[in-house]
Amino acid sequence: MTTSIRSFLDWCSNTETIIYIRDSSYGMPAVQSVHLIGLTVLLAAMLVLNLRLAAVSMMDWSLPAVERQLRPWALGALTLVIASGMLMFVGNPPKYLANAAFLFKMAALGLAVVCQFGVLRRFFLSDPGGRARPLNIAVAVLSLTLWFSVGWAGRAIAFV
Amino acid sequence: MSLLGWCQWLEHTSFATAISESVWLFPLIEGSHILALPLSVGMILMFDLRLLGLAFSTGLAARMMADVVRWSKFGFLIMFSTGGVLFMTQASKAYGNGFFRTKLLLLVILGINAAVYQLVLYPKMAQWDARGGAPLGARLCGAVSLVGWIGVIICGRTMAYQF
Repeated sequence: MTTSIRSFLDWCSNTETIIYIRDSSYGMPAVQSVHLIGLTVLLAAMLVLNLRLAAVSMMDWSLPAVERQLRPWALGALTLVIASGMLMFVGNPPKYLANAAFLFKMAALGLAVVCQFGVLRRFFLSDPGGRARPLNIAVAVLSLTLWFSVGWAGRAIAFV
Repeated sequence: MSLLGWCQWLEHTSFATAISESVWLFPLIEGSHILALPLSVGMILMFDLRLLGLAFSTGLAARMMADVVRWSKFGFLIMFSTGGVLFMTQASKAYGNGFFRTKLLLLVILGINAAVYQLVLYPKMAQWDARGGAPLGARLCGAVSLVGWIGVIICGRTMAYQF
């Protein structure tokens, strides 16, 4: 199992496209630009949604309406960051797998996705109206902390 | 003093050299510059989608604008202060860089675009807001903003690769 994953990654790392992205002068900046555009849209969507959950912004819209409006943009941006992230990763898997910041980032990303789109989803689908319930504020703070630690861990990959 | 001379002077101020030589200060400022993207640019992009009729088309655009601008002010405060400091540390390299120059040009265009919206189109928002769809002028401003900010991100990321 592990061997087949490893040989698949080796094969990926040696395809012409991946080598071009890794070694050409504009390949990495292009892929990272897409990564940053995705990050901007994804985290902005998470900001708008969680600020609404905490009842401090977008009070003209109900919470489920905000969630419904943002969902396609958040999921589209998530696809963009994961796809561009994978292009970077397969360029040099051993380098990333040995990087503590990368491993932390993947754990935080998994947790953020599971929280936002999974276990905490009912908070975003139920309508608290205009009231800022302490539990909702706590969920919003937790969710935003998780998403932004993914971002900071990503920045740290280049420095650790 | 020439502009390049000024850039070289800026880069050698004790403030700029202290930051470039610090092991943790430079990554921290650079990270803040990138992680302020969602709060500044991202919030504006959300409103651009509203102007283009791609999201939040059910509510009042004027209310969404107020909400978005209120939060993005903090984002842009972080953006411009960290951006200014990052420029100081690498001023002469940035001066000669095509992507940095394009980024500045785009920021000027985006500033004019935002000013036009605020002064010309914003006062007329109440007229079209109740009907839902934004008029051509407002849509055009939204499109310029959307494309312009994406360009700024691309230029910002690419210029750092050439330093």
